[in-house]
Amino acid sequence: MFTRRLSRRVCWGVLALLLLVGHRIVWAHSTDPFAAQGSAPRYMHIMEGFLPPIWALFWFIVALPFWVIGLRQITKLIADQPEMRLLLGVAGAFTFALSALKIPSVTGSSSHPTGTGLGTILFGPFVMAVLSSIVLLFQALLLAHGGLTTLGANTVSMGIAGPLVGWAIWKGLHHRAPFWLTVFLTAALANLMTYVVTAIQLALAFPDPIGGFVASFVKFGTVFAVTQIPLSISEGILTVIIMNALMSTASHELRTLGVQGA
Amino acid sequence: MSQIDRYAYTSRIRHLDPAQKTGLAALVIILCLILPRPAVGVGAVLWMGMLTVWWGGIPLPVVGRVLLAEFLFLLLAVVGVVLSFSWEPPPVGFWSLQLGPLWISTNQGSLALAGLLVSRAFGATAAMNFLALTTPFIDLVDLLRRLRVSPVLIDLMDVMYRFVFVLLDSMGRIATAQQSRLGYATRRAAWRSSGLLASRLFVDAYQRSQRMQTALASRGYYGDLRVLPLDYRHDGRVYLLTAAVVVSLLLAGSRA
Repeated sequence: MFTRRLSRRVCWGVLALLLLVGHRIVWAHSTDPFAAQGSAPRYMHIMEGFLPPIWALFWFIVALPFWVIGLRQITKLIADQPEMRLLLGVAGAFTFALSALKIPSVTGSSSHPTGTGLGTILFGPFVMAVLSSIVLLFQALLLAHGGLTTLGANTVSMGIAGPLVGWAIWKGLHHRAPFWLTVFLTAALANLMTYVVTAIQLALAFPDPIGGFVASFVKFGTVFAVTQIPLSISEGILTVIIMNALMSTASHELRTLGVQGA
Repeated sequence: MSQIDRYAYTSRIRHLDPAQKTGLAALVIILCLILPRPAVGVGAVLWMGMLTVWWGGIPLPVVGRVLLAEFLFLLLAVVGVVLSFSWEPPPVGFWSLQLGPLWISTNQGSLALAGLLVSRAFGATAAMNFLALTTPFIDLVDLLRRLRVSPVLIDLMDVMYRFVFVLLDSMGRIATAQQSRLGYATRRAAWRSSGLLASRLFVDAYQRSQRMQTALASRGYYGDLRVLPLDYRHDGRVYLLTAAVVVSLLLAGSRA
């Protein structure tokens, strides 16, 4: 009995040591914040040609009203304030550049933020739908990541579902919860929602031969959950740090954009 | 990321009409999607790979590296389609493996679907790579302009494309400055530095847009970015090539 308990304790000790050392090694290799520049962002868009044509078309149709509303909002914004034209272009470029930023992950490795939560706070959800789809187009053509026929599906997950959830949390919790908590939840859940919707899209297109849609969703969801829950927490923390820095040094810019609480 | 862009500008068919290149790539992608035969995808990869290397003049190692990365990613993505997980033993006709209470199983149907998926996505991706590696983004935006896409969207893309590189450059310089001051030496510092980097980048982006607005306004900017129309070479032989590709893919897709 005693030896068994001891061996178990040794096992845990070795495991803890491995985790600790492994984490150090991973961290030592990931301290170059700009090494990521050459590589594609690691988050998972649906690849070109992966969806059956019917589903590819379906998600384009779902995305269409959001594009129309977003484009109409942008046109109105530009008519009212002509300087917004350049600002929106630069905002899109900023969203793209954010996805090349390397952030420390809570699990020890590193990753890239999606930037949808921050973008939603700064520019609103419908504008983000348009900006995100251009960002996705850029990623397909400049990084060979994502795809053209899956642009509709990827827009729905990254440019529509994520920002809408983020926007709901941001609007709902503002003035009711501490500022940092609101920002954290907005960014973390916007990131997580992107992957929940991606899992739904994959499960709908490829239902499990035994368990159908639900089993397939659990399957794809589990794969994403293992990698994405830590990443969404990381993105939440990072966005809190960014917003705090912006509130203290860029309140003028935030006010021009009409960000609440700035 | 600027690598693909750089190759696109130096490609041998850079000055070919983007409508012709896009047409070829789009036809291949559509054929890959609608013809449910693995041979179509394989044929598309061979065609598009060869055309990118020999016609586009992109070095083989570059094309190979991009394709290999995508292929590995694809294999990873398809695992979820191949395997089924259940708590009860799967029905007859499934090959399965029991791990504790969990059954991992697969059958001929899932394997066939996975094979089709890999070849289809790989073929379509090769076609997209062909377009990305031989056609600079500005040519594609020019094509969209000719297709009467909303000018607001076109301007947005133009400004974004210009600023992506400016901001990435800015980001690189800030990161170097932070690193040389031990900004990423510890976890805590790394968090702080990434946050600061992103917030400074935002302010930088904002101020750049203001400066550009002032500079353009003082030169008579009314809200339209006018650029000179680009001059393209229209080559009739490309139609023959496109026809050859399409016919061979259709043959591969027909049930012989």
